[in-house]
Amino acid sequence: MAETQTQRPCSSVLDSLGEEIVRIIAPVSICMFLVVILVSTLNTDSSLFDASMSMVTIAYNETTSDSTWDKFLGALLNSLAFVILVTFATFVLVLLFYFRCTRFLKLYMAFSTFIVLLFLGGEVSIFLIQKFSTPIDCITFFLVLCNFAVVGVLTVFISKMAILVTQGYLVVVGILVAYSFTMLPEWTTWALLVAMALYDLAAVLLPIGPLRLLVELAISRDEEIPALVYEARPVNHGSLDPMEVTQRRLWRERRVQNLNANSVLAHGPDNVESHADSGASAGYNRDGADLVRENASLNSILNADSSGGSNGYGNLVSVEEGRVRVQETGSDLSAPLIDRGMNVQLGRGEDAASIENLMLEGIGLGSSGSIKLGLGDFIFYSVLVGRAAMYDYMTVYACYLAIIAGLGITLMLLAFYQKALPALPVSVAMGVLFYFLTRLLLEVFVVQCSLNLLLF
Amino acid sequence: MEASQGNHPNPNPNPNRNNSVASSVPVWPTIDGPLGLSEEESVGYARRFYKFGFALLPLLWAVNCFYFWPALRHSHSFPRIRPYVVGSAIGFAVFATLLSSWALTFAIGGERLFGPVWDQLVMYNLADRLGLTGWS
Repeated sequence: MAETQTQRPCSSVLDSLGEEIVRIIAPVSICMFLVVILVSTLNTDSSLFDASMSMVTIAYNETTSDSTWDKFLGALLNSLAFVILVTFATFVLVLLFYFRCTRFLKLYMAFSTFIVLLFLGGEVSIFLIQKFSTPIDCITFFLVLCNFAVVGVLTVFISKMAILVTQGYLVVVGILVAYSFTMLPEWTTWALLVAMALYDLAAVLLPIGPLRLLVELAISRDEEIPALVYEARPVNHGSLDPMEVTQRRLWRERRVQNLNANSVLAHGPDNVESHADSGASAGYNRDGADLVRENASLNSILNADSSGGSNGYGNLVSVEEGRVRVQETGSDLSAPLIDRGMNVQLGRGEDAASIENLMLEGIGLGSSGSIKLGLGDFIFYSVLVGRAAMYDYMTVYACYLAIIAGLGITLMLLAFYQKALPALPVSVAMGVLFYFLTRLLLEVFVVQCSLNLLLF
Repeated sequence: MEASQGNHPNPNPNPNRNNSVASSVPVWPTIDGPLGLSEEESVGYARRFYKFGFALLPLLWAVNCFYFWPALRHSHSFPRIRPYVVGSAIGFAVFATLLSSWALTFAIGGERLFGPVWDQLVMYNLADRLGLTGWS
């Protein structure tokens, strides 16, 4: 750390920090922007998704004629039921990970990704085709859609795909799931956002929280968390010497191998939706419908986990920083370096991992690594902005700025506390607050100004 | 320290030979550089992507070319990876040409060229008929 500071001036340190923040904010902004475009373009009737989103409205189905109190109470019941499902599913995930069912989690993640990309992607594509009357034929459409879905599954499954392709597919999955969530009734959406923020807070910060247990279990085993997590590309320092680059690559390889145990945490509700989709489209794809129907009970358990689980992985820089720090320390000390070199030469990754564990315990976390953000955070940020887009663009701007400010605050807290933090509460709280402030106060103000010709 | 120094050249057998030829020769076979695959792993990955692409997955060929772009771009580097990447590039180019020709012919020709069959093949009419956009 000291060497890094002496080798580079302070401005470059600030540049690298800014670059790290941009690399997290840029994909979040892209996801939110595209969801807003989809919501504005495809102004579909929300009843189209009633069957597929029945998981969320399990307790109460909102209708326009209900009174305000009934809507409020129904929304609370819906969000409470959803949070209970998410909590239960997350504990199931922790249990599976504890008993080392990583192969099952890996297959489930691939399956969920395929369902999201094929059915949700196909559905949104058909909406767009109908909206713009694009004269595309069915052969081309199905061929491109299948290619897109299969490559997405391979990206999630192989996990050694190009980083840009992996990041792109994660953003696409986030967009599709967030768009389907915007089809929920209005009160249920707001209650769900607040409930998920509170759940995220409890699941990550409580000692018995399921996400905290999952993170601690993954750290103790030196494995990747079995979750769909967006990882910003590490900032490429030009001053890295070849030895350090080699060590980082070795560390990356060992970590990526464990990445195969990942599970999809952000796709759950869409499995139910996909089940409904394939049920409706059983006329042309009966086998697919049967396959999905067989997994319906499984999906109904794990889908809630998907929405809740990835929220807790908001920022895992502490894990990354610890590991990177180990590498940097190893380059300074000769004895650990020789040990790691020998282990790497002999191909014993487990010994290297155990040595790394020993070193990790005695080292403070402080160096920079790649920041990780759970995919569920992408989804709920985008749901918030998408819901705002259904009202007015002024609320979209306010919510977007509030969410980015909340994310910045979370990143600063992360730098201060140096441990995994929930990324949802601050951003959702600020987003909801600014949405209602803009809707109730700022809009009236702007309308008055425009009426009096003070503002155009 | 000697072990670590000895460890350093092993993952980069090519740079030792290529540095004497030209300094602009790429060191890493993947577009991700040090964060990507080593050369030994890249050979297996490129071969697998190339073969999977024959299962009507030309997008895998495109991803193969994108991922191993340094091997494709520099003609004399990574001789074991290059045949698969060049094969993927050729396959994707051929398939994209064929599919684009068909799609453009269908889109531009329209009913004048295909007659009433066009209405049955076009995607938005097919979606309406199969009810793909109305689950309820």
